[in-house]
Amino acid sequence: MAAQLNLSGPPDSGLSSLTDQSMSSRTSNRSLRVAEKERRKNEAEDPSVLALQYFYNVEAGTPVNGNDEVERNLVLVEQVAYRNGLSPEAISIMLEFAMSLRMGHSLCPRVLKCLIPVTVVPQEAVVRGVSWLGVGKIPVSTQVLFIKWVLTVFDMIDAKDQLRAIYGFIFSFVSEENLCPFICHLLYLLTSKQIVRVFRVRKLLELQSKLGRQPFLLNLLSLYKVFCPELVTLSIPSRSKSVFKNHNMPWKSALFAVQKRNGSQVASSISLASASKDGTNRRKRKHHHLEIPVLSAVVNKQPQTETSRRLVPLVQIQSVAELLENMDHIELPAQMGSLLGSSLALQYLDCVQDESALLRLNFWIGYALHEELLFCGDGASQNSEESLQFLNKLLSTQHFLQEGFSSSDAFLYKFLNVWDGSLLRPQILGLLSNIPVIPSSQIGRLLFEPLMQLFFTSSVFFKCGLIECLSNMLLKWLIWHSVYALEDDLDISLNSHTSINMTLSGFKDSVMGLVDFVGRLASIGLQLEGCHSLLLSFILDFYTMVCDTFLKYGLPLVVMPPPGVFYPALFATDPVSVDRLAFIMYRYKVNLTSAKSQEKLTEQAFHISRQTFREFNNYTVYMVNCLWNSKMFQPGMGVQLREELLLKSNVPQYWTSFDLVHHPAFMSYAIDFHQKCWPGKKDIDLDSIKHSKPWSWYLEYLFSQGYDGLALFVQSNIRAGQGNGQQGDSLST
Amino acid sequence: MERHHNSVTVQRRSKTKSYRLSYRSGIGAASRLGFTPGLTARRLNTSRKAPKSNNITEKVTKEQLALLVKTEWKLSYVTPLYQFRHTQLKSYSRQLSAFIAAEKQQGLAVDVEGTQNRFRASFSLVQEMTESVDDAVTVLIQIHSKPLIARQDEPRRPVWSGWLTCINGNLEYLRSLPKDFICLPLFCSSEAGGLTSLVKSWFQQSFDCCFGPLEISHTSLQWLMALWTNCQPESSIRQLKMIWTLPVEPQLQVTYTVDAEDAWQLWSSVRKENTAGAGEENSIDIEEVMSFMQGLKGHFFRHFRLDLSAGRLNEVSTALGSAKHSGRIKFSNSKYMITTLMLLTECALLKMPI
Repeated sequence: MAAQLNLSGPPDSGLSSLTDQSMSSRTSNRSLRVAEKERRKNEAEDPSVLALQYFYNVEAGTPVNGNDEVERNLVLVEQVAYRNGLSPEAISIMLEFAMSLRMGHSLCPRVLKCLIPVTVVPQEAVVRGVSWLGVGKIPVSTQVLFIKWVLTVFDMIDAKDQLRAIYGFIFSFVSEENLCPFICHLLYLLTSKQIVRVFRVRKLLELQSKLGRQPFLLNLLSLYKVFCPELVTLSIPSRSKSVFKNHNMPWKSALFAVQKRNGSQVASSISLASASKDGTNRRKRKHHHLEIPVLSAVVNKQPQTETSRRLVPLVQIQSVAELLENMDHIELPAQMGSLLGSSLALQYLDCVQDESALLRLNFWIGYALHEELLFCGDGASQNSEESLQFLNKLLSTQHFLQEGFSSSDAFLYKFLNVWDGSLLRPQILGLLSNIPVIPSSQIGRLLFEPLMQLFFTSSVFFKCGLIECLSNMLLKWLIWHSVYALEDDLDISLNSHTSINMTLSGFKDSVMGLVDFVGRLASIGLQLEGCHSLLLSFILDFYTMVCDTFLKYGLPLVVMPPPGVFYPALFATDPVSVDRLAFIMYRYKVNLTSAKSQEKLTEQAFHISRQTFREFNNYTVYMVNCLWNSKMFQPGMGVQLREELLLKSNVPQYWTSFDLVHHPAFMSYAIDFHQKCWPGKKDIDLDSIKHSKPWSWYLEYLFSQGYDGLALFVQSNIRAGQGNGQQGDSLST
Repeated sequence: MERHHNSVTVQRRSKTKSYRLSYRSGIGAASRLGFTPGLTARRLNTSRKAPKSNNITEKVTKEQLALLVKTEWKLSYVTPLYQFRHTQLKSYSRQLSAFIAAEKQQGLAVDVEGTQNRFRASFSLVQEMTESVDDAVTVLIQIHSKPLIARQDEPRRPVWSGWLTCINGNLEYLRSLPKDFICLPLFCSSEAGGLTSLVKSWFQQSFDCCFGPLEISHTSLQWLMALWTNCQPESSIRQLKMIWTLPVEPQLQVTYTVDAEDAWQLWSSVRKENTAGAGEENSIDIEEVMSFMQGLKGHFFRHFRLDLSAGRLNEVSTALGSAKHSGRIKFSNSKYMITTLMLLTECALLKMPI
């Protein structure tokens, strides 16, 4: 070891190369001017190199008292240390000087206190320092100071392998009562699985029986428990703080100052705290089933083999980098439920394809949900604050993993039958929207029946929430499909790995079932709520997705909205709804046209039923007639009323009531336009807008108000021409 | 997919797999698990074999049997145990002892290998107490303890016992579980201080399972009445006792006791001719149980003008055993224990979240 430590060349060259290095590291990011200044300053510092040389060469037994040379040199080193920090070699030299007691122990603490590293601390120096502890001449207080220093700079030691190699040697110092707390901390930082042995556990337990409950012993033992729960067990009272005391005060501020001056990253956390506990979650609970288990290592391991020795418990993994490094030998925690509390663990779960692990997690989640919300009996809403937190956690986990858990699906199928529609509504609807595709044969009983009951007996806000939830559900199904279809060549069923036999047509049936269901809910919901515009908005959201299933999600399926949705949207009193309907109709047209052209090109493209085309054409023609041609009641159209009845209503020119000028949603625009167009006119004659010139201006004016859907609809459906009286353009079947 | 794109990147593959999982987690996992969690609702069997005297006395050791019969047990359901091995009981005994010691003296580490603990847990198997080959062997746990101040040679005394069992568990369910899960869904524990919860949390931490309370439902209690009454000719039930609570203000509790012979006569009168016949396996249908109950309620109504249908059956007891709605059971006669345990196993499996 000594040979390694001795500088290879003459001391001067080693030192100068070193100062160069430290200098370059310091100046790398600065402007040339500053660098120049630094260099000059460094030259001025040259005496410090000589000072180091002095400490490197000084003979053992040189007296301290009255030795001005030592004092001068030490002051020089201290100046450098506190201003810029010491280079790795300087640390080696000074540490060796201090620990070897070449000039007695009086200087020791002073030297140790100025060991402020600028970059890293060489591992060899630390190992050598530790080895001097064994000589036994160093006063205890200095020993403590040394270990404290090691703890402070631990993160800056350039490697830890040799330190781990002398773990046993370091361990032997736990018997020293004064050193014990600090040695335990150091051991804590160095412990790995291979190191935990029965005799060490016994030694620590023996110390425990001598010293009592000491936090440092407990911390080290609890780490041993993480690695080898088959050797030691303990439970830590929830109130006790399981963190090592901060021993690094003498250096912390100096280190911080030096690092700040050098512009380097401040070491993030110098002391490694063992798992910190969430204070808020620790309060006393009546029911424990919602408590997320603590991440802990497995107790009953397989008989120890070479591979299992290498396994790293997930609880030991602190960062994504470590996770990636140990990816192929990570040991899953004892309780899979604990994953819910750690995003790092979830990251791992996302990659691991362990069926048992997933099942364990599902058992736990399902158990918690059942106990809390299904088996609870009377006290259902008593601890709803905890249920809320739990469900939110579950939701964020599902969001993180981008998929639901089968146990929460199974729970929901039962829960929907007893749900009142208000308990934890946002959370339940959130979970519901994560339900994966259900075969069309089951979907009615599992979803539609209970939801239908809830829908019709709840407030308009629940109705909106449910429509939104079903929209999200459909969106997820469509996204799954698009990912699947792309990767599996447009066929979900051909894959031999899937245990599910969901064919493309089966999937289509399910989607169709869902879309039809929402259509039914929407039609009746709008009727019940008097075409509530908020509800209509959520429904139109849904159809904005449905109209694009073919082009956006690659699903060969086009489903038109039912009349109960189409007409209320067309006759809505707010222009936004009409505009959105126009956009939806425009997208339907684009999708249908594209499907049709594909049908011609390739044989395998899907066949759209005549019925769909007919519905689309009817809607489009009606819309054009109504908004554009002022012919609301044409024979053969969707809305028909007897002539006498219409006359009886006494509405003048009733057939124009819903054209773009008289439509209640646009009337205010028409009046505004009229005033702008003919500012002098006193009485407003809206019909005058319908002349060809003002009509095209009026359209331009409307489109400039942001009604892009309307603009797209008009562009795609009205043939270029002028003025009034255009015909709707219909798709041939 | 493997066939077509052998060169797909790892990342893409894992994503695909994850989506596959999504599909499976909904329907595939369900079909793989045999029971489709929500897709097919599990129900209590509507027909079961009549209890036949089962001489487990010959198979189970006397001490174990004495223990099982003597105590009133509190019931819980347990989700399947992950990596539980019937061959590791020695090591489990050590670990549980150490765990209890650690929990009892918070903040003090305990040597798992040590033998100095005040509490000593021991695991043992109750061999042969099974009904089908798929049932996992019943595990009995006993905890002995020394009093705090005790002489050196004073023997430890038993302070707690409990057992995990599965009698005639649903085959489809048991077989659908992966190999590394052991299903012992019924947990019976003697109430004694906080030891039950300690044992539960040790199991939870060691085998990643969950414990929930298991009540004996109204229907199950009626089943028990019928099953026990059915034994009358072979082994006297002495009397059939029911405790009902009626929802009136103030709450009314009715204790209704029927003489063994009367109960038997009523029971035989509602038994269907064809099923009661010999030859085939003697089975009992839910309709028979319901008519039996109807008869008992009718009788009560004639005398007291009180319709028990409005109330809740809370407790039933005979000389063969007693059962309470709150999930407590006592087996007084080992001969008919198996039948009762079959019913309870069924109830426990019904509580499984998946």
